Amino acid sequence: MAERTGTVKFLTGLGAVATALKMADIDVASSYPIRPYTGAMMMLSQMAARGELDLEFVHGEGEHGQLGIAHGASAAGARAFTGSSGVGVTYAMETYSPISGGRCPVQMLIGNRTLDPPGDFGSEHTDALSTRDQGWLMGWAHTPQEAFDNTLMFYRIGEDARVSLPQMNCQDGYFITHIPAKVVIPSQEEVNKFLPPLNFPDALDPLNPLGHGPQLFPGQGHVLEADRVNAMMGAFPVIDEVVNAFNAQFGTDYAPFVEQYRCEDAEYVLFINGGHAYTAKFAVNHMREKGMKIGLVRPRWIRPWATDVVADILSKFKAVGVVETNNAFGAARQAGILTLEVATSLYQCDKKPVLTAFMGGLGGEVIRLDEFYYMGDVLKKVAAEGKADRTAYWIGFHNV
Amino acid sequence: MKERYKKYTVDIPEDMKIPYACIVESPKVNGEQPQMLTGGWRIYRPVVDHDKCVLCKSCILACPDATVLLVDGGQKIGFNLDYCKGCGLCTWVCPVNAIDRVPELDFEDGVPFQDALFLLPHVERLYAD
Repeated sequence: MAERTGTVKFLTGLGAVATALKMADIDVASSYPIRPYTGAMMMLSQMAARGELDLEFVHGEGEHGQLGIAHGASAAGARAFTGSSGVGVTYAMETYSPISGGRCPVQMLIGNRTLDPPGDFGSEHTDALSTRDQGWLMGWAHTPQEAFDNTLMFYRIGEDARVSLPQMNCQDGYFITHIPAKVVIPSQEEVNKFLPPLNFPDALDPLNPLGHGPQLFPGQGHVLEADRVNAMMGAFPVIDEVVNAFNAQFGTDYAPFVEQYRCEDAEYVLFINGGHAYTAKFAVNHMREKGMKIGLVRPRWIRPWATDVVADILSKFKAVGVVETNNAFGAARQAGILTLEVATSLYQCDKKPVLTAFMGGLGGEVIRLDEFYYMGDVLKKVAAEGKADRTAYWIGFHNV
Repeated sequence: MKERYKKYTVDIPEDMKIPYACIVESPKVNGEQPQMLTGGWRIYRPVVDHDKCVLCKSCILACPDATVLLVDGGQKIGFNLDYCKGCGLCTWVCPVNAIDRVPELDFEDGVPFQDALFLLPHVERLYAD
């Protein structure tokens, strides 16, 4: 494996993404301000103003228009970028399916923010997860370095002719978007080698008018849906291939789908998505020092959901606690959205772990180390008893 | 890897396949793609005042359905009314206000008086069974 080399910088998640976008030589960016993702657009506009990046920077009249601009740019063959947060993500809801159905590989940065009320600055995942079934690839970074790397990997996966789908490049508002950390920036030559220029078939051209997204004949609707399923589920081998190519070239060790941290002899694990996984890793280390057999499992992709990988990994343990940084009101088990996915994945297993969830980080709250210790205590108890009293333990509300 | 995910994908029979992402060539002549005639949706018809028109071709670029055409050897603007939905974008972009929107009811061959636009071939097939 190659050694990770390059310029070391101290960057926020937004700075990391903006730097990666510059190196990816994007053609069009469409913006609309909403915290906390906005900083990425600020940096892009500065790059364009200074002439560092040949960029068409278009300001939308709202998030719906913003996504429309990115859709049109991508359909015309440009490498397009857009982004949003919180209620901005949901305001653009209509546009997601046409973009993925039109197979336009737009990349969208989502700096997660709590939906209204209260529209907190930080980082509930409910905004992005509400759009999970619209045909976009979707994954989270848990460090600024991963945000940089994901930006390049997502473009290559999404633009691959076998996939050709838009991507949601998500990171936790505040915790990743605004807290700087060490980021190793590879050379431009290395990035060019990894990410070839976009070659979009059937790009819009006034000399050869095409109909994008036209009406279908009766009897074709379900064929289109099947086509879209094939594109999404056909992404699995491409993701595997691209993540491995990235690891080989840049000396990283990303799991293609699901990261396992200290899981070797673990009896119970936290299943946690996004930025809080970074704190959770420290908590796991501390609990390990006290002799608890705890591990951490982190999905790198929410769409497509790696059912078999998640099932293989989680069925090895006695108990699984899904840390939900989102809320699914009235859903099965009344926890969050990830519980639905995890429980469904485990259904096929002969040996099922005890499953429960932890509701934390809601309204953008921090999940503190002592709160992860509490989760560890609950998991130890439910693993020993072979059952859980609750489908979801709310941090700060329930005793062990 | 591929084999493992085979159970999630759908084999589409050859005779059911559709164009990639439904991307199709825009209709270039009247009557092409008869099942997709969208002219029947029109409430207002675009009418050009050829004395005012400066042939800037803004309307050609603006039309979302490529229904604005150059006719008479490139000397005049014309419309493919089989597909024009009457959205009015051409009127909106015209710098010299040469395109008027006239209600279809004002025409003898207006949309409400035409049978042909509503008796589309696939609709006929549906009713034939």
